[in-house]
Amino acid sequence: MKMRNVTRRWTMAATLLLVSAIPQLAAASATREGSAQINYKILPSIKAQVVPNYQSSFGPTGGLGSGSTPAAGPSAVLGGGTVDFGNVVVGYEYLYKYAAQVSVQTNDASGFVVYGEGATDLNGSNPVPAPPTWPLQQTLFWLVSSAANTAFSPASAFNKTSGTPLGAKGSNGINYGAGSPSPASQIWTNPGAGNVSQGYDYELRLSGSIPTSQFNVYIVYTVIGN
Amino acid sequence: MRRNIFALLALGVLAALTVVSQADALQAQKAYKEMTITITVTPSPAPTGGYVPAPPAAPAAAVALAAQLLADPYAGPARVAFAGPAWDVSPGGGLQVAQVSTQPTPVPVQFVAKADPNAAYLHIVPHTPSVNAGYGKTVFPCAFEIFTFYTNTYSLTDWGYGTLKTGATPYFPIENYPTISYLSWTVPDFSATVTPYNNSGPPGETTWTGAKNQSQQHCINLTLNVPNSQPAGLYTATVQYNLYVTLP
Repeated sequence: MKMRNVTRRWTMAATLLLVSAIPQLAAASATREGSAQINYKILPSIKAQVVPNYQSSFGPTGGLGSGSTPAAGPSAVLGGGTVDFGNVVVGYEYLYKYAAQVSVQTNDASGFVVYGEGATDLNGSNPVPAPPTWPLQQTLFWLVSSAANTAFSPASAFNKTSGTPLGAKGSNGINYGAGSPSPASQIWTNPGAGNVSQGYDYELRLSGSIPTSQFNVYIVYTVIGN
Repeated sequence: MRRNIFALLALGVLAALTVVSQADALQAQKAYKEMTITITVTPSPAPTGGYVPAPPAAPAAAVALAAQLLADPYAGPARVAFAGPAWDVSPGGGLQVAQVSTQPTPVPVQFVAKADPNAAYLHIVPHTPSVNAGYGKTVFPCAFEIFTFYTNTYSLTDWGYGTLKTGATPYFPIENYPTISYLSWTVPDFSATVTPYNNSGPPGETTWTGAKNQSQQHCINLTLNVPNSQPAGLYTATVQYNLYVTLP
């Protein structure tokens, strides 16, 4: 008898416990609001374009004292083509206005650096001089575009790369391997993200000893995020 | 008698003026060239003044320990330097962060260099067209050479390109009259005299003269004086050289 009473009490206690737990089970399945912190990283990206002859009044000026008026060669077209100085006279200085515009789009808040250098020295082709190349560093210069620029405005020399030219004479760019362009070839630094552009004029200084020939070179721009 | 003397004097003045004007008329500018030097002024090493406080005195215990070590460096206990158990960068475990980069299509540049018809009379051979200069005085020996020749007597003159005695925008280093140019020249074949470049425009100054059929080529030494007030940066100096010849 005593045993039966004990069993009944246990049964009641279990029943009460079950009844009291039902509301809690119902509440557990309902929607609840809260906050969560999610950390994620957006990888930096950089896109860039270079447009030769980027403004309608592009082309060479200068040649003071040479007795001839410079004019852009046939390979120069608005918004593309070649930075073609045309016929120039040995021993004189020229300015090529609106030679190239570099545009960069990046989300990198640290900004970027633009390098510009020659894939090779100047290559003589018609007729082929001896030696066939001429030092770029003392011949072709760059400066930021300005209406006030002249053939005698302060300008920095383009350097010949220490990387490996890709394609014919660097027509496909420069391979720097695990390295990067020389700091001396830096032409532009931008401190933040955005969609920005900068135009450049080129200067040509033809020393009296450069051979008479057709010369060409590829100028390669490399943009690297900070 | 007095009237005759005046007449003779007037005749003499007229004759002299005629000779001078004829001499001027016979001079002609055969050719001219600009010589451009790119100058990079490096940042100023000008000394700065300031107060540096003396370092705090070492604690007495450290001084005593140092004195004991100096007196008997091999006394025990043995001491071994230890930088702690953690590596700043564990061997082989460094993290290399790649920088994003891009290389747009290269820009082709070309030109056709034609012979200079005046090169037989005047040309410049640059040796150091780009120079680095610190503050103060720097000499650039034989920065360039100039060749001159003509079939008659001639003179080579120079002045800072773009300068004018009546006023022009001054640019470092040649500036403009009446400021004295910071760039000077010497022809060591002729003289050791250092002459600041003329910056009054034409007629400029005589660099050298030549006899009939005389070809000559000489070095030009440059001396650049960068004042402390000049900001570091990139500059150009352009000098115009002119070959004036006496016409037959």
